[in-house]
Amino acid sequence: MDVSKVLKEALSELEKSNNDDSIQSLRVKYLGKKGLITDLLKSLKDLSVEDKKKFGASVNLAKEELLKKINTHSLEINKKNINEKLSKESIDITFPPPISQLGKLHPISKTYKEVIDIFGNMGFSVAEGPDIETDFNNFTALNIPEDHPAREMQDTFYLNEKDELDKPFVLRTHTSPVQIRTMMNTKPPIKIIAPGRTYRCDSDSTHSPMFHQVEGLLINEDANMGHLKGNLINFCKDFFHINDLKVRFRPSYFPFTEPSAEMDIAYSIVDNKIKLGEGDKWLEILGCGMVNPKVIENCKMDSSKFQGYAFGLGLDRITMLKHGLTDIRSFFNGNNNWLKANGFSLGRI
Amino acid sequence: MKFTYSWLKDHLDTDLDANAIGEALTNIGLELENLTDYSKSHGNFVVASIIEFKKHPNADRLNLCTVDDGSKKYQVVCGAHNVKKNLKGIFAKEGLYIPGIDLTLKKGKIRGELSEGMMLSERELGLSDEHEGIIELDNKIANGTDAVTALGLNDPLFEIAITPNRGDCLSVRGIARDLASKGSGVLKDFKIEKIENSNFESPIKWFIKSDNNSCEFVLGRYFRNVSNLKSPEWLVKKLLSIGLRPINALADITNYITIDQGRPLHVFDADKINGDLTMHLSQDGDSVKTLDNKEYKLSKINTIISDSNNIHGIAGVIGGLESGCSEKTKNVFLEVASFKPSGIAKSARSLGIFSDARQRFERGIDKVFVEKGMDYASSLIIQYCGGEASKIVHAGDLNLKPIIINYEFRNFLKVIGFDLEPKAQIQYLKNLGFKITQQNETNCTIEVPSWRNDIEYSIDIIEEIIRLHGYEHIKEEKTISTNEDKIKIENSPANKKHKIYERLKKILASENYQEIITFSFHSSDSHTSLKGSETLKLSNAISEEFNYMRNSMFGNHLKVLDENKKKGFEQQSIFEIGPIYENTNVQHNILSMMAFTMKSVNTVFENKLFDFNALTIQISKLLKELNFDIQQFAIKRSINEMFHPGKSAELWQGKKLIARYGAIHPIIIQNYTKAPEVYAAEIYIDNLPLDTIYHNKKISFFESPFPFSEKDFSFIFNKDQNLFEVYKSIMGIDKKLIHNVDFFDQFYSHEIGLENKSITFRIKIQSQDKTLEDKELEDIFSKVIETITNKFDAQLRN
Repeated sequence: MDVSKVLKEALSELEKSNNDDSIQSLRVKYLGKKGLITDLLKSLKDLSVEDKKKFGASVNLAKEELLKKINTHSLEINKKNINEKLSKESIDITFPPPISQLGKLHPISKTYKEVIDIFGNMGFSVAEGPDIETDFNNFTALNIPEDHPAREMQDTFYLNEKDELDKPFVLRTHTSPVQIRTMMNTKPPIKIIAPGRTYRCDSDSTHSPMFHQVEGLLINEDANMGHLKGNLINFCKDFFHINDLKVRFRPSYFPFTEPSAEMDIAYSIVDNKIKLGEGDKWLEILGCGMVNPKVIENCKMDSSKFQGYAFGLGLDRITMLKHGLTDIRSFFNGNNNWLKANGFSLGRI
Repeated sequence: MKFTYSWLKDHLDTDLDANAIGEALTNIGLELENLTDYSKSHGNFVVASIIEFKKHPNADRLNLCTVDDGSKKYQVVCGAHNVKKNLKGIFAKEGLYIPGIDLTLKKGKIRGELSEGMMLSERELGLSDEHEGIIELDNKIANGTDAVTALGLNDPLFEIAITPNRGDCLSVRGIARDLASKGSGVLKDFKIEKIENSNFESPIKWFIKSDNNSCEFVLGRYFRNVSNLKSPEWLVKKLLSIGLRPINALADITNYITIDQGRPLHVFDADKINGDLTMHLSQDGDSVKTLDNKEYKLSKINTIISDSNNIHGIAGVIGGLESGCSEKTKNVFLEVASFKPSGIAKSARSLGIFSDARQRFERGIDKVFVEKGMDYASSLIIQYCGGEASKIVHAGDLNLKPIIINYEFRNFLKVIGFDLEPKAQIQYLKNLGFKITQQNETNCTIEVPSWRNDIEYSIDIIEEIIRLHGYEHIKEEKTISTNEDKIKIENSPANKKHKIYERLKKILASENYQEIITFSFHSSDSHTSLKGSETLKLSNAISEEFNYMRNSMFGNHLKVLDENKKKGFEQQSIFEIGPIYENTNVQHNILSMMAFTMKSVNTVFENKLFDFNALTIQISKLLKELNFDIQQFAIKRSINEMFHPGKSAELWQGKKLIARYGAIHPIIIQNYTKAPEVYAAEIYIDNLPLDTIYHNKKISFFESPFPFSEKDFSFIFNKDQNLFEVYKSIMGIDKKLIHNVDFFDQFYSHEIGLENKSITFRIKIQSQDKTLEDKELEDIFSKVIETITNKFDAQLRN
């Protein structure tokens, strides 16, 4: 039998095969147990050593070539089949998806995190207290006696229920009661900030009956007004990302601090928008002062030994200033459109 | 507190202009809120007259006017109805800013006709709301005169905020005194002449009842044959300049002294008084009609003034209407009193009255000025109303003992952070009117002036010194974070909580939940349907909508969903981390979530309706982030009425509620949204052990090199069987080998009995030490079958 003739026949048949089945039968026909090439190999045993060597080599070559061609051909057919299938599977990639909304976090959440981080870097830890407070913690301990005009500075929400001293519970008007709770229960040094919800009965575009405040308190033996000033300026620079922030400290009055100060940030109006940090207008940003010795004594500490400073600022207000938001009421009505525009997605918190 | 520049100059000799004064005020703690200086904003408007006008060819209501400002003629289109020939008004040229309407005039055509400026109304000038036509001026004023002069606006008006401690600055005199001590001018001498010829006895005497009322001292004087007509021009102008309405000479004089000297006074029409006057506490049930034309019901905390028949005023707060003075008043009785500040505050607050008198008395007045106040008022009354004054009568005692403070100079350094020479410290104190009665190198003794009721302690002295020295001199120092601080922060429960909240927020955001913040209050409707405690009611809520502290956020959140749905949001997921209140003493900070989907019309991108199972997966993820597997908790149906009884669950750990979640009860939803089903959850983060949920759970990583086996089981259980319990039992059979149990099929059918359910789960088994032999696997499988059939009365299928 002529090897090359068999191979030639096989290859021409292979050429005509166009599916897996015909390739499989071709493989059986030539390379199966009783296949034509297998037969040729079997016939080797009747040949002389020399012929065996010569003829054997050519049969093996033919077998290898056929195998290789079969594989190649079958891969091609497979590829062709898949491509044919895929060509029928084309979908409309241009159908627009429905409007999707990324989960957004409230701007206040971002501010909370930033404030805790910035003061954390200065060594302040977070403290907290309840929103429903006693009259004592919210006023009296803070040197705001019942008939003091300073009570009129804050419009207080009262509950019907009365506390142990027979005074109606109040919704805290500032987070200062947390300072009282901390001073009552901790020994100096004290270094805390108290962020949280606060309440005053007031409602318009700049006042909300509920708002957020952060207050800070530091009590040790030698903190002075220079530390207070330095830290608060640093905080504002950090928070607003303005390095050469123009600020001013001016005298003010709070019953719980003395001397008391308010800090203003300079601003100007550029293209109808507030530009912070420079200009000749002033924006009040926070109140602060040295803790009034009376408050330290009210909290059962020795005011001749311990002194410190305290400050408070509106978180909603600084959020509005930083992000150019104008109506505080929109912070609390859950308006999805507002949140889409002003919230922060996961990657931006 | 309002005052004008010229009024200030009555008391202060100064070269500073209004702006510089404003700045100085803020620097000493008398914060300038507003400075209306018309010479700045209105200086460019001028007087001009309309020399002729004709109808606008293209507009019925407009006129074409020719306006002459003395140097040039302009064509102006004007719509005012009072346009007439020779009208003199205020003219603004093109290019000027019109404050009242926030507009800069541009040259242009109005309905095709050139207009080169504008004739202004009071509203356009920002002077009032008057818009009934353009301003008409006296014809004698020359064209070209600046508007500020023509309108008499050349006196800058200050508005400053007076903090509650500075009663002394509720007077122009006091403000001038404070400015003078800062060096912004020199305080002018102020001499009060005592009146002569007061030689008759007052027919009315004062008494102060010893019932603990707030009056400590009172002076009185009778004036006969006065004529209470219009005040002199200077006084009318002064009052008008700060927005006070002139009434009659007597009223105006008392108002003037109140503002000028911070010394409130009262005048009674003496002919309306029967007998003597007494300061005493009111009885419950008394009432009085006062000068503001209102009637007030009084109680035992109000100090009142009465004669033998009637109440004539609420002492230190407001006078009575009946004995008020009018043009007909012939004889008057003047009251100059000193009250305990807290008594006045209590009295006025109980009635909700804000008056100039109250404002000053509750902050404390200058007691030394009581007598001078009497003299000052007397001389003005005699001067402008005529008549004769009686001898002075009085009741009570005036404690004029000054406050003495011992002060150590080094305390300034200790509190403020930089040193100031004792000499400089003392100079500031002297400027402020403090007397130094004793002094050495380290200490001094200070006598506080009578008008500074707010100064009591050494710290007050430090504040006064730095206030005048200037806060700008305080050196900025840094507070550094110590290691001790860092450890405290690391261990602070509140710091940990905020980190946990942050983690939860991020997971929720990744599940497309929107973070919202809603009020801590909700409506009485919400409170009722959510079964909140009555103790949470606010007594002075801003509205019915917010009159209870919320015991759940569901009411607020349903409202949010509803509002957003009206804006077209058909799918919403929202959450809030914040407080809810059980009662006045118990507050929980919880995570509250709420979600719904409406069936979408989109057939290409189909959305699955949000359901209980979707919510369960989210709850399970959140708990996983807090290091808990949901199956660890005891689960039961929620009996809370907020929820659909069949589609809600509660997770408990011992006696602590960890979470409740499910479909909101249809009855509650009805009031809000028309969504088919709303799902919601509350996770009580506070009830989970803080340290467990804060730390990263350490799972030792070891991948077994040996093969794992899986086997599926189907059992028939009673349909009420709690599968969390089944899960826990299987996991408990062999903690080393059983890796997990995955429940994946459930069905109900007649075939297995309607009281039953068929449950299928897959168990994954793998050893870390070896390839398990068939025998070992079989052992575990039979243990599973045995445990489940025995413990749960279940039946293996097939």
